[in-house]
Formats: sequence, structure tokens, C-alpha cells
Amino acid sequence: MPELDLTFVEQTVSERGPRPEQVIPILQDIQRHYRFLPDEALQRLCEVSEITPAAVEGVSTFYAQFRRRPIGRHLIKVCNGTACHVKGAPAISDAFRTRLQIPDTDDTDPDGEYTIEDAFCLGCCTLAPAVQIDDVTYGHVTQDRVSKVLRNFAEHEKQPASAAPANTSNGKSDGEIRICLDSCCVARGCGSTHEAIYRSILETGVQADIKRVACPVICEETPLVEIALPDRKPVLYPGVHESDVKEIVLGHFRPRGIINRFRSLMSGALDQLLTDEVWEPVARYSSDVRDPPVAAFFGPQKHIATEHYGRIDPLSLDDYIEHDGFKALGKCLDTLSPEEVVSIVEQSGLRGRGGAGFPTGRKWKMMQAAEGKRRFVICNGDEGDPGAFMDRMLMESFPYRVIEGLAIAAYAAGAHEGKLYIRAEYPFAVERVKEALQRCEEHGILGEKVLGRDFSLELEVFEGAGAFVCGEETAMLESIEGRRGIPRLRPPYPIEQGLWDCPTLINNVETLAVIPWILREGAEAFSSLGTESSRGTKVFALAGKVTRGGLIEVPMGITIQEIVDEIGGGVPDGGQLKAVLIGGPSGGCVPAELAQTPIDYDSLRQVGAIMGSGGLVVLDETDCMVSIARYFLSFCQYESCGKCTYCRIGTRRMLDIMDRLCNGKGRKGDIEDLESLAGLVKAGSLCGLGKTAPNPIVTTLKFFREEYEAHLAGRCPAGKCEALVTYSVRDNCIGCTLCAQHCPVDAIPMTPYQKHEIDTETCTHCDTCRQVCTEDAIHVE
Amino acid sequence: MPDITIDHQTITARDGDTVLEAAAGAGLDIPTLCYFEGNEPCPSCMACAVKDAGKDIFIPSCAVKAEDGMKLECETDEVHEFRKTAIELLFSDHLGDCISPCQRICPAHLEIPLTMKLVGAGKLREAIVAVKRSVALPAVLGRTCHRPCESGCRRGTHDDAVSICSLIRHVADEDLASGHGYLPPCGPPRNKSIAIVGAGPAGLSAAYYLLQEGYACTLYEQSDRPGGTLKELVKKGELPEDVVASEIGLIEKLGANLRFGIRVGSDVSLETLQQEHDAVLLSIGKVEDSDIEAFGLKVTRAGIQVGRESYETELEGVFAAGHAVRKTGKVVHSVADGKTVAAAIHQHLSGFPIVGQAKSFTCQVGKLQEGEMPEFMKEISEAERTSPAAGQETGFSFEEAVKETERCVQCDCRAIDTCKLRGLAIRYGASPTRFDGDRPAFRKQVEHPFIVYEPGKCIRCGNCVRIAEASRESLGLTFVGRGFDVQLGVPFNGTLREGLKKVAAECVAACPVGALALKDE
Repeated sequence: MPELDLTFVEQTVSERGPRPEQVIPILQDIQRHYRFLPDEALQRLCEVSEITPAAVEGVSTFYAQFRRRPIGRHLIKVCNGTACHVKGAPAISDAFRTRLQIPDTDDTDPDGEYTIEDAFCLGCCTLAPAVQIDDVTYGHVTQDRVSKVLRNFAEHEKQPASAAPANTSNGKSDGEIRICLDSCCVARGCGSTHEAIYRSILETGVQADIKRVACPVICEETPLVEIALPDRKPVLYPGVHESDVKEIVLGHFRPRGIINRFRSLMSGALDQLLTDEVWEPVARYSSDVRDPPVAAFFGPQKHIATEHYGRIDPLSLDDYIEHDGFKALGKCLDTLSPEEVVSIVEQSGLRGRGGAGFPTGRKWKMMQAAEGKRRFVICNGDEGDPGAFMDRMLMESFPYRVIEGLAIAAYAAGAHEGKLYIRAEYPFAVERVKEALQRCEEHGILGEKVLGRDFSLELEVFEGAGAFVCGEETAMLESIEGRRGIPRLRPPYPIEQGLWDCPTLINNVETLAVIPWILREGAEAFSSLGTESSRGTKVFALAGKVTRGGLIEVPMGITIQEIVDEIGGGVPDGGQLKAVLIGGPSGGCVPAELAQTPIDYDSLRQVGAIMGSGGLVVLDETDCMVSIARYFLSFCQYESCGKCTYCRIGTRRMLDIMDRLCNGKGRKGDIEDLESLAGLVKAGSLCGLGKTAPNPIVTTLKFFREEYEAHLAGRCPAGKCEALVTYSVRDNCIGCTLCAQHCPVDAIPMTPYQKHEIDTETCTHCDTCRQVCTEDAIHVE
Repeated sequence: MPDITIDHQTITARDGDTVLEAAAGAGLDIPTLCYFEGNEPCPSCMACAVKDAGKDIFIPSCAVKAEDGMKLECETDEVHEFRKTAIELLFSDHLGDCISPCQRICPAHLEIPLTMKLVGAGKLREAIVAVKRSVALPAVLGRTCHRPCESGCRRGTHDDAVSICSLIRHVADEDLASGHGYLPPCGPPRNKSIAIVGAGPAGLSAAYYLLQEGYACTLYEQSDRPGGTLKELVKKGELPEDVVASEIGLIEKLGANLRFGIRVGSDVSLETLQQEHDAVLLSIGKVEDSDIEAFGLKVTRAGIQVGRESYETELEGVFAAGHAVRKTGKVVHSVADGKTVAAAIHQHLSGFPIVGQAKSFTCQVGKLQEGEMPEFMKEISEAERTSPAAGQETGFSFEEAVKETERCVQCDCRAIDTCKLRGLAIRYGASPTRFDGDRPAFRKQVEHPFIVYEPGKCIRCGNCVRIAEASRESLGLTFVGRGFDVQLGVPFNGTLREGLKKVAAECVAACPVGALALKDE
């Protein structure tokens, strides 16, 4: 092997400094440079810095982002978040492995071309099941589309990068064409739509500006394009693909110049001839007119954290300021004392949106009372619950709002230093927040004189490295200080002894995102929304078996039923609502019969669920509660830091039992053991992760105990647990051979016009046949 | 100074004290496991948990500071169950044998690994002491035992079992040949006497241990010589007469009163023995059912009916052991029974509940998985099983014995006497097998000059990691990975020799289990 050039290591150490706390950012640099962490580079790192071998080894093996083995040329991440999991992600991972001939013991194919890894939530739940190859995201991947995805990726790789700028402006335009370019929108095709818009503007010569805007939050309908003309109500087009673009553009903008106008007419005619597609009038796409569901989606919502969604350019400082940005911060600095700020936040009734629901005002007050000259504020952007992507969206779409909220918190806390801890899996959010911070500094919004006033504040991004437990605030502090993310025993709380033992105020992204609104509009405006104990709004990521998923911001107190039916459009394909999972792996399930439960901290706690950070996954009759509970438990078990006995081993033993149940190997007493372990693990874990890890088991046991008993008896009522079901063909089979064509393991012989048969020995229960069958002739039992 | 209440007892703690320190100050014994004095507390094990009744939560007493007004529960069933389950969970991920398979299988639970080590170190006198703690007639057994220990010997998985039986014989023969055979110390006389009926291996063995407890023992033998079934083996030529005589001679020397030509039932009645002695042991070998019934005792298919652990018959104070209560008459069972029934009689006469020989707690590796035997074989002699050059009749020479002990793979835990996990399991009655799951693979790291590391035993307390860090070891130790799979390791796949250059001994001292242990000298 040729000797590795290690000058980069020296370079990054000299840039970042040799201190031990730099270990995580330095390892990230090294990994970015070499694509993994070569031992030689790490050894050199120890030689040229104060970082010890023990720290390098401990840190690099704790965080999932770090890789000590060489990596293939491309990285495939198969999302195994909740929404993807319920839509069949595990089988997709297997299909990639089979297709790429990756051995069971390895994660990279023999040619070193592709490395595959499971990701616990890429945060694009509405695309489920989602797969990311390098920077390209594929949505709705099925087992039999795996080859297509790989082919598409290979072609994509050959294409040059997009030339279309995010924003265009020629100074004399007739109006704006708005499109969102956040992670999930790009994954759903906004990229090519965007390029098509750019092309058609060039081709047709219309006077239109392209504007990249904040997340339009209705993910199921993307690519969404909005046309905004002066003095007219904007028109929103859902589901716009490359081929639709020109018609829409020409429907609103007149080409300049005779030639262009002629050319566009001609090419339109040619397109029609060549593609043999019949174009319907453009108006058909307008959501207000033709697509009432989209309007309904927004109906019961109230946008505070997501204010001006789909309208403002996430990174345009001017845009943010035009839309009342930094007004609240200015107001605080000019007219309010820190005590007054805290009192307004207290009056608003805002409770922490990170999960526990601790009153924000009270936390800030305690922070004010804490003694210590050096003080910190931290924005907790380590959102990691599979099935939740609210914070990612807020950081990607409204970075300035989060920054403003954090700056107000800093002012109230008397802190002059702050960090935004952002999860490693959100590179886009990291990029945007970093850029937003830089622009704020350049424009005097942050720095020595915040908004020109006599208050200094330095903010910086700290990138997480792939550990869910770091969302726990004391583990986050350990992480920022350059150690393994092992939670600290509380008390002392971070407010008393936080980062570097200084008083530290930690708030979640969403909490901070509503702060500017509260300060601007007043505590009462906020507290008049929601319920007695839970004021204001809450952002949820709505996904799973629902017609329209996406990010929603609703007033507290809205019922689960209202969210599912009115906003989400109900369960698709005539399915029946079975339960809603709230709060991710720390949360619980609310069964359909309790769908009238209002969403507020206390009502949810009463039924045994928790608000959590805001993942809402809708389940229908085809979902197996035991399997879902097993999935959540496996997540927490995997993410356990490994310190407390009850969490480290207890969750594993619980998972052993769940595995047995799902594999038809349950033993007498398993359910009782599970119950008793659940109680002990909750009681015997010192941090929030372990304390809440058994929640999904506890609530599903409470509401769906009969399903556990059925599994113990060797049956899976929903037909989901592979080991407990067999696939067969009903008599209504028409012999169309679709199933035989799609079967990835050739378990169905090709017998045209005859009823098909499934070889149960070969069958892997991948469910492809049932999904492709047009006659509902595949029987699962 | 905060006042706290533990189990209704009010304690005034010193400022800054942890709950554990406050409790210790008041003489309360809260157990600990991962806690190591001198290290900053980093609670993980939960063995020291107490319940904060005010907050209704469990707290690790080693790390939580005593606060005024705390109401704590320490010795309730709930707290005990909580500690016990934590211990049981740790055991489900703890791989090792506290007690080696050979010793577990031996009916007399002879301390075989210890004996091996002592012989290997040339300490034959100490070896005979160890042997005779479990077996009263080792020279006899060394020739006649059916050697269940060797069938359980892990070395047998590699090639052939260690020649345990011959080694025991060597130890015993050397002792007898020394001319001053080992006599254990006897406790002060208790002025109580035991009638032992039958001077066979069971009766002789029982006398040997009862004498050490200070009881007077009279053996009633119907024939004119002691030995019982051993006499038949002598007749068959399987056992030299002088060996039997010498070993019995030592028991007589210890104070056993042997009376010959007395048949109990005809020459003297059982009732008389009961009256004249404080307890009676029937070690009469295999007899007719009618003879048993004649004593007024119940008969089972095995022989005299006795309590499973107590060896007591229907008649209070009358015990039975050996072939008299068993279907088969293996000498080792009779010898083992003698020791157990001695314990039972002692318990009976001391007014304790009769439980017989206390079972030693052990967890087990169980069946080996692929690749594990080579781990056991690290630093162990590859030599073939030794046969005595001078022939079976003569037995091992000292050199041969030492060479054979080097074949022992040392399955037992080096930390059996100091292991806190084992101590807690015994204290709380924890079952090492309550939770079963994938067990870790057995591994043994021996590269370090004087310590051994068995990762399967590690409970991830991190004491060694922190000690190495504080001492600025150049490579040191760290946790590798996270969650259930977290392991103790040396950075960059280094060896323990490279990782612990300064504080290896300190790390061993801080290890609450036997994961890090000193090698045998």
C-alpha cells in the first residue's frame, strides 16, 4: 500500500488547535479528507496534538458517523426510520446486499464500489422507504426497484452538476417562481423541476425570477411550485415535474420578443406530437381551485415556528428582515431587561419542545439565578428520533429564526457564547445554519455588537457525530467537550454546571424558533392558543399510513383524529386507523379508540404516551404492534450509550424477548418478564434514553396485549412478522404473471393464464407479490 | 450537616457526603460493585441503589450526595429485588466459571485447580491440606476413583483430560511417604459423641470431619478390620493394603475410636447407641431391606430413606450415608457423603437448620463455541497427557506431576474470593441464568507480563480506564464501541502490555470482578 500523505492531519490540527476538546471536529475533518479514519492518520493526530490515543479510540468508536475501515466509492444509506420501517425498509437493505453481492460479514461489495449502511432516519419520512446514495435520495424504493435505482444512480453520476442557480433575478421581472430546495424536496424531484424552470426561462425568455424558499411543509405534494405575480394571489402547483414546467411558466409569463414567443409555441406543439401526451389546461394544477385536499392540509394549522413557510428564501437575510426578522431581538435589546424577557416567556406558557415539556420561562429564570461569569446557551439540534424531522426543517428553512431565538435566550441568560449542536445526519442543516451565522456576523447581527447594540454574542455550530443519546443534554455537553456521549448524573443540572462547568442554558430548536414570535406578538398572543397546560402550537412530522404527510404546525389541543383526518386526509386506500405513534422511540402509541385525545402534554401522558419531540406515525390494520414496538426498542437498544446496567443489558434482554415473540419462539412467561423488565429498566436507567426506552413496549402492552399473546401462540394477526406468516395464492388469481415477474427469489413459477403457486420453501416473505398483484389474490396468513 | 433517613433511622451526614458514605458512617452496609474508592464515582452497576422514597426513584448511593430531608429505603424487598435483577442482568453478559467444571463435577468438590497450582509450585504440603479439606482418603481415591472430574476436564476438548486422579494420588502418596502424614487441627472438644456404624469409606470420612469439629467419634465395625468395601478392592488387587491401612491410621491418630466385632442390631441395639451418643450415623454399606426395617427405618429403592440435603433418617438424630443410601457404591460418593453428613450432623447438634454442605455459587461457561478452546490453551503446555514412566503402580514422579499440572487450562476464576459480583449474587440469592441471551465469546488476553484479561468477565465499570487515564499511560485503556457491545480495549488494537505499562497492578486491584487478574506466580 502506498504511504498515506499525512500533512492534512497536521494542517487541520494547526487550524483547529491541539486541544483535547477538538477531537470530534478534527476527526470529522480527517474523515472528510480520507473518507474514513486511517489508523496512521489517527496516530499522527496523537503525535501532533494533545489528544490521547484513548480519546481517539473511545470517541471514534462511540459515534456512528466515524468509520475506521476503508469505504466503497459510494455510500448507500438505507433509511430505517419509523416511516421507512413500516413501509418495508429492512427488506430493501437485504435486496441491495443481494444485488451488490455484499457478504453478510461485510458492508462493502468485493469491488469496493458500494458500501451499505442502515441509517436510523434520514429525516425524509414522507418519501418512505427512502434510500440515499451519496448525495442523491431515492424515495418510495421497493425491493424490485433496487436495480433501477442503482442504474439511475450510475447515469446520474455521469451527468454534470446542475448549473441552475438557487435564485435568479434580472431586476425587471414580472414575478417570482418559488420552489423549495430542502433535502426532502430535492429527493422528491425538486432538483430537476428547478432546473427545468431555469431552462424554460432561458428558452422562452420570460421575465421571471426563481426563488428558493423555505419548506412548504406539505411533503406528499412536492415538487411544489408557486407563482407569485405582483398584486395577485400566489398560485400553488403541487406535484410539478420536469415535463409540466414549461406549460406552467408560459401560463403566467409572456415570453419577450417575437422569436422566443414563436419558438415556445412551436416547441410546445412538437412536445405534444412527440410525447403523445394530451395536455390539459394549466389551471388544473392550481391547488386552490382543483386540489381541495391541499387547502385542507393547511386549514387547521397555525404557523408560528414555520411562519412564512414556502414564501421566504431561507438564506436571504433581507427576506427575513423584511418579514419582521430580528425585530424581536432588537426589541429585547432596546426596551426589555433580561428579567422582562424571561417574564414574557414565562407568561406565554411555552414549554420545552424537545420532549420533556419543562416550562421554558422557568428554565430561563433558573439560568438567570445561576452564578458564574462565563455562561453559555446551546441550541439542541440533535433531533434523532426516527420519524421526526421538524427540527431539520426549521434549521434548513428558517435558520435566522432559530438564531434569533438563541440570541434572545443568550440575552436573557447573560451569555455571550453559544453553540448550535446539529446532528451529523443533517449536512444540509449544518451548511445553512453555518452560512446564516456567517451572514449574521458580516451584517453586524452577531458578534461584538449585536444589531449594533451593546451586547456581544458569538455563536458557532457544533456538528454531532451520530449518537442519538447526545440529544440528552448532559451527553451533549460531554460531546462538545470532546468525549464519548455518556450522560452525566443529574443533579447538578447544566444550568448550574454545564459546559466547562459553567451555567448553560439548553433549548430545543423548535422552542427557540417560537421565541421571536412570542417577543414580537406578545405573551398573550401565544398563550391564547392551545390549552390550559399546553400553550401555543406544536410542529409535528406526520407520516406513515396517511394520505398527506408532511410537517404540520397545529395549535395544542387539536385531537389526534383531527390531525389524521382533516390534515392528513385519513388513512389511504380505505384502510382503518389502528393507532398513532407519538413521540418516537421514547413515546408510545395511542390506539384508534382514543383518537379523540387532545394533543397536549398532560392528556398524552394520561394515556401513557408522551409528546416527545413530535414524530407522528399513523398505523393502519396491516401494521403489527409487536413488530413496531420491537423496532422502537431495537432503536433505543442500539443507541444506548452502554453505561447503566439496566439500559445496556436490560434493553437487550427485552429485545431478546421481542425477537423471540416475532420469530414465533416465545416462551411461557415472556410477556410477564417483559413487563417486569420494562418497569425496572425505566427505574434503573439514569438518563432519559433508558428511562423512556421501554415506553413503546409498555403502551403497546397496555392497548394491544392480545397481539402479544397471539405472537406467543405463534400467530401474527397483522401478517407482518415474517416468521409467522405464509404466502399463498387465492383462487381469484388471473394468471397475469406479474407476481412471478417481480418475485426476487423466483419462488413463483411463470405460469401464464393459470393460477400461480408460491413455493413456501423459497419464499422470503418480502411481500413484493402482494404489492404488485392487481387482483388482491395473494393471501398472507 | 444534612439529616437523612435510611429505613427509618435518622443519620446526620457530613457536608458533601454521598449517601453511601453517610450510610457507612452510621455502620450501614450498602453493597457496591462498580464503585472504587479513589475514583470519581461513575455509577453504572446499580448494585448500590437505594430508593429515594420522597421522589419515588432509585438512586445510585455511591454518587448521589446526601441532602437534608432525604427519605431513603435501603433494606426493603423492593430494593433487594432491584439490586438482584441488576446483578442477574450483569451475569447474563458475564462469561466465566467461578468454579472449574472438574471441581463442580467431583462429588466431593475437591479443589482441583488449587491443588494443581500448589503441586505445580512444588507446595506439596499445602496441596495435601487442600485435598484433605474435601477428601479424607485421597490415596485410596487416587487409585480407585472412577474420575468423573476427568470427564468434565476442559482440557479433554483439546486433547486428553489432565490426569487429575493420578495427581491427587501423588499428593497423598508423598504425604504418607513423608512418615508424618498430615493431621488437620481439631477444634476444642464439645463433649458430644457420635456413633458411627460401619468403618467403610463413608463412616471413616465422616469421622475425619466430625473429629475436626471437636466431636468424639466411635466407629462400630462388625468385622475385625476397618475399610468396609475397600477390603474387597484390596482382595481384588486394585488397592494395596498398606495404603488403606496408612490412611485409616491417620484417622485413628486424629482420635477416632474403632471398635470391632460389634454388629449393631444384634450385639448392640440402635436405641442403645441413640441413648449413649448424641447422634448416630449409619454408614453400613449395602444391606438387606429387612435389616433396614429392623432398625425401624423406611426403605427406598436406593436404600435407607434420608433427607436429600440433611441425610437424616425418619429417626431424629439418626443419619445415614454412603452406599447405605445409594444404589451404587462408588467410593468417591461414599467419601463425599461422609463429609456432607458430618456437616449435617454438626448443624443438627448446633441447633442450625440441616442443609448439609453449602452449595458453592458459580456461573458457568457451558459448552464451548468454536474458537474458544485455543483461547483457553494460551500459555498452557501443549504436552501430551503424562503416563508415569515407572508404571501405573508406582505413579507419578514429582517431575512428572509438575509437568502434568502444567496441562491444566485453569478454568476456575482467579478472583473467586474477591469477586464482588459473586459476593452480591450470594448475598441476594441471584440466579446467574435467570436471563439467557447470546453469551459473549470466551477470550483471554495473556500478552501482558503479569496480568490476564478476560473480556467476557468485564462489567464495564471503567475503573481501570480512569486509573490508566489519571496515570497518563502513553497508550492506556478506553471503552471501544458503545451500548451493549461496548468493550474495554487498548487504543489502535494495541496489546495490554502496551496499554498498561505503569498501573497494571492498580487496575487489577480496582477490577471488581475477575476480568483483570494477576497471573499465577
